[in-house]
Amino acid sequence: MKCFDLHVHSAFSGGQSSLEQLASTAKDLGYAGICFAEYFESEEQLKKLKDDIAKISEKTGIKIYLGFEARNPKELVKLSGKIRMFDLLLAQGGNLEMNRLACETPQVDILTHPENNRNDSGLNHVLVKLAAQNNVAIEVNFRELLLASKRTRNIIMKNLSQNIILAKKFHSPIVLCSGSVSHFELRSPEVMISMATQLGLELDRAKSSISKIPEDILKCSNERKSEKWISPGVRIVK
Amino acid sequence: MRQQEKLKILPPTLRKKERYISFKVISEEPIVYSDLEAGIWQTLLEFYGELGVSQLNVSVVRNLYDSQNQIGVIRCNNKSVPKVIAGLGLITRLGESRVIFKILKISGTIKSLSLK
Repeated sequence: MKCFDLHVHSAFSGGQSSLEQLASTAKDLGYAGICFAEYFESEEQLKKLKDDIAKISEKTGIKIYLGFEARNPKELVKLSGKIRMFDLLLAQGGNLEMNRLACETPQVDILTHPENNRNDSGLNHVLVKLAAQNNVAIEVNFRELLLASKRTRNIIMKNLSQNIILAKKFHSPIVLCSGSVSHFELRSPEVMISMATQLGLELDRAKSSISKIPEDILKCSNERKSEKWISPGVRIVK
Repeated sequence: MRQQEKLKILPPTLRKKERYISFKVISEEPIVYSDLEAGIWQTLLEFYGELGVSQLNVSVVRNLYDSQNQIGVIRCNNKSVPKVIAGLGLITRLGESRVIFKILKISGTIKSLSLK
């Protein structure tokens, strides 16, 4: 089983560890690939990141992908237009406006932590249906659980379980990500799968949420980069 | 003091089925066994509570801890393996050092863990 962690922050986007530290730790833990989710600043930054990633990928022997996490609706619209320049587009959830926009945008690959800083789960049946229609994956973020303590962790677990129930009901894809900002926050795939089962995901689904679904997302993103691709579901055949 | 008499071992059908989880600790500094055991117990008790931990039937196997390679073994019952692994994932620090637990193998016997 090839496992992927599609939400890792490096020192480029407020993280504490370098690209190399993160990549080598992920390889030690048994990941086949990771995706750095950075904050977009300029196209020069994007080129530099691509060069660095190519070098580190060759050095460490792990597949590394580049994604950008949009922090607000304006940034999301801007990044949707540049979708072919990088691998994944992530939308930082938490506020309802952003959660809705992310679920409505087919270019978005992952809606990250929709329950962040909220008392409710940040998603309802309408939003999850939209996410399922547009093939937007809903993230179960391990970092939130890791850093929270007691009462807060209790609320986060309740919200994550609620999102999992909704995603299962409306067949929306779920991805398990570490959301780590340091290489010491990365967790092995077994730990992520076990935690997901504690949150109410069946073992098979938990396994596919860290292997098959991320692989499918990466496959779609690869197709998107080709010149024949026009929009989701539309491409030039001849 | 009179030596305590040993109970006769239960037949296999009545024994609780156990699982052994071998793990490796990736850390900034070397980890001693006492820090490891204290960290694991504290996290599991915080996360599952006293009743929850009593049902896990968990213990750290002291004489199998390899402090040089930082490889250890945890024993638990066969139905609580995901719970124990999830609990291990929540450990961020042991002593002063930041740590990551890497799960190596889950097995029904210590012998088949093939630690050496």
